[in-house]
Order: sequence, then C-alpha cells, then structure tokens
Amino acid sequence: MTGEPIRCHPTIIVENMLQIIVAIALFLFFLGRLDMTLVAALGVSALALTLLFSYRQWKRTLIRFNETEVVIERDTLFKLKKVLPYSKIAAVNISQGLVNRIFGTSKLMININSGHNAIVPEASLTFKREVAERLRSEMSRHLYDQGLPAEEDMRSIVSFSTKDVVIHSLFSVPTSQTLLGGAFLANSVLEMYNSVTTEMGAGGTAIPSLFMFFLLQIVPSITQLFRYYNFKVHRQGEFIHLQHGLIRTYKTSFRISKINAVRVKSTLASRLMHRSCIEAEVVGIASGDSEGSSRPVICLLKDDKTIRKVLGELVPEFVYERTPGKQPVGAWNVLRIRTLVASVLLVLAMAYPSALLHQEYASQEGLSNLAAYILPLLTALAIVAAVHAARVSYRVREIDLGEDLFTFVNGILDREVVVMSYDKVQMVRVTKGPIARRFGVSRGTVHLLSSTGSKSITSGLFSEEQLDRIGDIVMERMTSGKYDHRLNGI
Amino acid sequence: MTDGEEKGGTAGYLRLNKKCMRSMYLGYAITYAVLLVAFILIMSYSGEALGEARGTVLLIGLACLVIVLAYMLMAPPVFYSRYRYKITEDRVDVRSGILFLRHVMVPIERIHQVEVSRGPINNMLGLGHVNITTAGGTATVSYLEIEEAEKMAERLNKLVGSMLRDREST
Repeated sequence: MTGEPIRCHPTIIVENMLQIIVAIALFLFFLGRLDMTLVAALGVSALALTLLFSYRQWKRTLIRFNETEVVIERDTLFKLKKVLPYSKIAAVNISQGLVNRIFGTSKLMININSGHNAIVPEASLTFKREVAERLRSEMSRHLYDQGLPAEEDMRSIVSFSTKDVVIHSLFSVPTSQTLLGGAFLANSVLEMYNSVTTEMGAGGTAIPSLFMFFLLQIVPSITQLFRYYNFKVHRQGEFIHLQHGLIRTYKTSFRISKINAVRVKSTLASRLMHRSCIEAEVVGIASGDSEGSSRPVICLLKDDKTIRKVLGELVPEFVYERTPGKQPVGAWNVLRIRTLVASVLLVLAMAYPSALLHQEYASQEGLSNLAAYILPLLTALAIVAAVHAARVSYRVREIDLGEDLFTFVNGILDREVVVMSYDKVQMVRVTKGPIARRFGVSRGTVHLLSSTGSKSITSGLFSEEQLDRIGDIVMERMTSGKYDHRLNGI
Repeated sequence: MTDGEEKGGTAGYLRLNKKCMRSMYLGYAITYAVLLVAFILIMSYSGEALGEARGTVLLIGLACLVIVLAYMLMAPPVFYSRYRYKITEDRVDVRSGILFLRHVMVPIERIHQVEVSRGPINNMLGLGHVNITTAGGTATVSYLEIEEAEKMAERLNKLVGSMLRDREST
C-alpha cells in the first residue's frame, strides 16, 4: 500500500478487445448484404480504432492503493476519478478466467456496500496473478484487520468430492426449468421417432426443441460443474472464505456480519436424495464475475446431517431453536378459492380451442382421433396439478419469529428455508388482497439490507398481526439497544 | 393541509387532502384517452389482419375498456378513503391500497435519502410525493400537499441527521 501509481496488466487490452471483436463481428454479420471488401475494410478499421482506444485507456488509467482508499484515475476523453474508501468496501475477490490463465493474470474485483453494485463489481482490475494475490491480501488487512488464509491453510469444513459437484450441477437446477427442458426433449424425441417411422424426415420443431433442452438443462448444469469444481469453504474468525472453479477460478471472502440471510435450498430431485444446499445472501458482493452470479453458495448439495454440521460450524449466527408456525385455516380458504378461480378461467379459455380440435379430429380414425381429446385432457391435468400445488403450498409454508432471527419456509416444487436477521431488515410490507381480506390473512414482504439489487423475500399467508410483529421486533431491538449499527449499518 | 388526524383503530394516522382524487382522475383520464386512441387505431387498421376474429376482438376490447373505465372511476375515492400515514420519532408507517391493501413500515434509522417529487399534474394541483429510500428499497408517501411534503422531508432529514450525530458522539 505504497500509494505508487500502477497500471493494470497490458493483457486487459486483449480482454477488452475480445468482447468488442465479438460485437463487431455480430454487427458486420447483420450487414451481410454489403460488399465483402467494404465489410472487411469496415471490420479492420473498427478493430484498429478499438485497439487504439483500448491501448490509450490502459495507458492513461492509473490505480493507487493508498493507506485509506483505492483511487482509479483515467485521463482520456471520458475522464474518471473513482475513489473507493476501504471503509465502504464490502469485499475484495479474485477471479481467473481462460484469458487470465493463458497470460498468468487474475482479476481483482472490488465490491462496495451498495445495492446497485451488489451484482456488478465497482472495479474489476487485471494484474499479474501474484500481484493480484498480494494486493488482495494487503487490502484484506485494511478491511478486516487480518490477512487471508494461505492456500495450504484453506481446509474446507466439509470435503466436497467430484461426485458431490456433479450431483450439485445436475440437481440444483430449478425443477420448473428441468420440467420445461424435459418437455422440449420429449417433443424432440417424439419428432425424431415420427421421422424414423414415417420416413418423412424430422419435423420442424425437433432441432429447436433439442436446442431449448440444452439451453435449459445441459448448459446450466455444465456451467455449475465448471464453477463449483474443487469447492472449498473455510471459516476463519469472523470471515468465510470460498474457493472453487475449473477453468475460471474464484476466491471469495466476506465477513459474517455482512450476511443478511441464509437459505437452505432443495429442488424436488435433490429432496428425493435427501440433499440440500446452502446459499448466503451477502451485502454488496458479487460472488463470481462481471456476468454476475449473485448469492454465494456456501455448501453444495449434501445430505441433511452434513447440512446441519455446516450450518453449525460455518454460520452458527444463523442457527436457533425454531418453533415454526403453520398457515392458518384462512390461508387454505384463500388458496382454494384462488385455485377454483384459476381453474374456471382455464376451462373457459380452453373451451373454444378444445371444441375446434374436437370438430377437426373426432371423425378421424386411429391415433389422430386422440388429438380430439388432448386439450380437455391437458386442462384436467393442469387443474389437478393446481389443486395439488395449493395443498402443498398450504402444508409447506411456515413462519417463525425468534428473538434475534426469523424464518420463512417457502416453495412448492423447490423448497427454501430462509433464516433472516431482524437487524438487516430495511422495510416491511404487509399486503392483503380482496380474497385474503375476507379470511383475515396477509402476505409479508421483507426488504433486507442491499444484497442482490434490493431483492425482497415474501412469506406465505399469515395473520396481519403476526407479520406486523416483524416490524415491531425490528423497532424493539433498536430502542432496547440490541441492534448494533456498527455491525449492521452500511 | 391534510384532512386531519384519525381516531379509533388507525389513531394517530393522518389522511390525505381530497385533492389527491383530482390528481388521480386527471392522470387516469390521460391514460384512458391514450388507451382509447390506441384501440380505435388498432381496430381501424387491422381489419384485414384480424379477418373473421374482428368481431370477437372488438367485443373483448370494449369489455376491457369498460372494466378499466369502471376501475378508474372507482379507484380514487377508495384510495383516498383507505390511505393513512404516520410519522413518529422512530418510524414511517403507510397504509394504502385499492384492491390490495398494503401496510408499509420503514424504521427512520434505515432511511438513506428523502426526495420530494412532483409531476406536471401534481405540480398544477400543488401536490407532491415523498420518496423514502432505504438500502433495501423505496417507500412512498403519495399525494401530499407540497408544503406538507417539504415539511415531512425536512423532518425526516432532521431525524436521520440527529440519529447520525448521536452515533458519532457515542
């Protein structure tokens, strides 16, 4: 922290250029009707200009790591002076992408305590790997009054095998997304089967359906596999350190007091395997890269016993003896009426198309005759699913107001237990619709301290008094002195 | 000035000035005029594209317009009669809603920024909104008389300021 002005590693020019080249290529592709020589000339000129611009920007951008702040100064046409005081910085993390690996560099990402910048880092600076590690360690001393653990000291609380990472990648994708992906895959297989049996070639929707399946199921799974490979989580004093990644590696650290809420999540498939994962909602942190994955995962899908162990050892501040309250009978009435109204609307909407299909296919023989009944059948299935969803929603949703923490349990297919700290609550909103009003129930929305773009957390249907109690406890903690603004303020 | 303080279940809460209804009606009238013009234009120029379905689309469109009109006529008095707000030493409390009733509670301690905003209609009627920003979202006290809005913003700023000074001194 000498305060000497330094520049980013020159390979940042390559990183910037790669993004711009893709944009230029796409632009020229859409101008495809132009003469090729002109397109080539335009492309080369745009590239030369971009190179010049990127070089000038790199050359004229200086960074100073002073005793109290980081100053980024750019003296180009678009001048910039960004001062990031250490007191306002929430986290300093490191990420290493493919380009960084080739050049032996790392990205130092600085996040400040801000809702707007919770997802995108305030500054993303490329340095030689060792320089980035040293700067992060030195900054950590300023931010946290302690250095970061050495790589060899980074012993994970629980060991995560490659099998765990694969299971997490496959089964942590939201169930709705998996079902939709499955429907596209089924359609694609059906189309291909038809093409084989009728010898007429694949139908028009086979390839797009297969593409959608890849997009919805395979791509997220592969992304997660690469992201969480070699996952390690470690607690050192008041800090949690995460390390993971196959091609792009991530090193993330944050203070326990910056956690707003802890979520224990499980998808339908993972629940069948008795597994769940843990996410932390952390103030002003981008867990990953500038593409922005928001909440850091602090434990991959693991069995219930391990999850309890991780919660107890990693975030004991978010563990308490829960006495959950179920939704009152009024909630069941609301859910029933809502399902009835939705079902009636669905039947009305499907009546005309069903009649048309029936008219068209009823007289035909064989399998085509089935098409006449497909829409009424699907409508009936949708209604059965809606009734089941209402039952599950009534059974699953819970609220629990503890002394320092409170919990919402939500979800129909995918479940989540969200444990929140009263001291991080910024605003409480209690809403009751026309049906809910008749049965004396409301829905509560809690706005927490800026985490992922001011995202709120909503409860099930409970009595208004019970939900208003959250706000009252927040106020009581402030007046009684239980709330410590130094730990919980921005 | 506001219409005074409430008694009973919502004791201590303040009500809005009746001018809020005029502002809402004017806003709704402009929105409705735009909707009506859009509907007429769509129906005039899409005859061929809609084909036989034109009659059905016309009926559905008219039904929607009637429902929207009924809502716009009924919403302002309901909004006015249900709107209550209260500012104490430690919190801002707003109860509002037309179909969905909302109760918003913001601790003064959490306020980051207070802003008075007024659009052209509110400007004409001497009304304004007070937008209260916290680190987790924004709450609004709507349709206050401009002097009242300025006073509220000043009071909130003072409360936040004194809270910060207290912290610094401890």
